[in-house]
Amino acid sequence: MGKIAIIGYHEVPTQINPERTRWDILEEVITGAVRNAGIDKDDIQGVINVAPQAQPDLISQTAFGLIPEHFGLKGVKDNMICNAGGASTTNCVRMAEQWITSGMAEVVIVPHTTVQSDIPAEDLISFFAKAPMHPEWEFPFGMTFNGAMALITERYMYETNTSEQEMASVTYALRDWGSRDPMSLFFNKPQSMDDILNARKISTPLRAKDCNMLADGGGCLIIASEAYAKKHCAKPVWKLGHGSAFIGATPAVREDVYWRESYKKSTSEALQQANLNVDDIDIHEIYGAYPFSQCAYVEAVGLCDEGEGARYHAAGHTLLGGKTPCTTMGDATGRGHTGSGVSMAFYCQVARQLRGEAGDNQVDGANKVMVVTAGGSGMNALTTIWGAE
Amino acid sequence: MTELKRPLPNISKESQGFWDAVQQDKLVIQHCHSCDSNIFYPRRICPHCWSKDLGWVEASGKGTIFSVTTTYLGTTAEFSDELPITVAWIDLDEGVRMASNIVGCGPEQAKIGDRVQVVFEKANEDFKLPFFKIVEA
Ligand SMILES: [Zn+2]
Repeated sequence: MGKIAIIGYHEVPTQINPERTRWDILEEVITGAVRNAGIDKDDIQGVINVAPQAQPDLISQTAFGLIPEHFGLKGVKDNMICNAGGASTTNCVRMAEQWITSGMAEVVIVPHTTVQSDIPAEDLISFFAKAPMHPEWEFPFGMTFNGAMALITERYMYETNTSEQEMASVTYALRDWGSRDPMSLFFNKPQSMDDILNARKISTPLRAKDCNMLADGGGCLIIASEAYAKKHCAKPVWKLGHGSAFIGATPAVREDVYWRESYKKSTSEALQQANLNVDDIDIHEIYGAYPFSQCAYVEAVGLCDEGEGARYHAAGHTLLGGKTPCTTMGDATGRGHTGSGVSMAFYCQVARQLRGEAGDNQVDGANKVMVVTAGGSGMNALTTIWGAE
Repeated sequence: MTELKRPLPNISKESQGFWDAVQQDKLVIQHCHSCDSNIFYPRRICPHCWSKDLGWVEASGKGTIFSVTTTYLGTTAEFSDELPITVAWIDLDEGVRMASNIVGCGPEQAKIGDRVQVVFEKANEDFKLPFFKIVEA
């Protein structure tokens, strides 16, 4: 048992739907999560909002307290917003833990929404091409987010002697989970290996299906103290451990090219804190946003030998029914990319799996889940471990 | 050569020396006199020892491709006329890695391990960028 638990969650499906506004989504996910937890809205004492990318108005509104006011949360003592890119949700949860263990709050909500489809396409491409790239040393050479990840993938395939087919099997695995997840942009859209290998080239060796599609979405977590969770929640999802490692901002100058060493550090720290071994983990949820990161992670935690990550996927081990199901919401590749919100989707999925609510993607008997998130163009590896009662 | 429309780097006080050298067909690398390390990209303080005793060393302009990609889609509009564009990480012989473009060959021609040499090309009338071309090993 941990000091904090997720006691409620709610998520809207990831879609490209500009009609669904940011505040529509916030209303749905916050009221949904409060109802899911079965708590009184005035029991909420803290609001920690994930900062969405490319949404300056919403960032100002939520940073300056519009959520507790809009929802009439009478018990709220403090409000803040966190931006650590795609690692924001992990950091929000950690801040919630600090508020709770320091005695400031018993219940904290962590909401997030992103709507990218009402932003002109040109502006959005420009934002996501530039945001994580160094403005002086990468961007003027035509480096994009996809391009940087393509360079890592190309080198990974070269060093590990991984074939195109083997690499595509990672995308296949992510899309396979996505096709059975009603929250995914790719729900009910099963992919074949041929679909993936024949998709148009974006930045070699990455093809369209290996890259993220920008989309809209949102979710909300309700985080509570141990005492509150035990009293008010039938199925709390306990936080058991945490580890973190910083990788570096600019991909071109990083020593830890594949993030493998950082995955090793952050996962071993989390396992140690949780007093668990990697064999105790039933599901590994890996937010790396690109297929190579799934490979580097399974190597880092020792599920397979170094350099064998893609072949481990090709053997089917990471699929539903496989030896070690990985990334059961499909990562950004199999889900769609909601700026800063993919980590929120991961935590909703953690709660679903541990409560037995993951539908067609449910892993039987899931009792311990490790999740790792990353921000920027992979600036960090933040690992948390969660367990059911 | 036709003028490139691509965005130019935002030059800072600490990187001015690098870009000034490029305009004179020279590739220079920031060097820390305190701990004797080569630094890329240039900074205000040495990231190894925090010394401000920094200068420049002229690089040979030779290096090896650490990784390379040909980008067909997804750059900002200013690059559209140049697509497909070959982007690489190059390990300079002086021990630092930088991003640049490989020029003078077709898409998907450059390979990891290829030896490259810097070339200075005009992005517009007033400004050059350092690119690399493949040379015989
Ligand atoms: Zn130094």
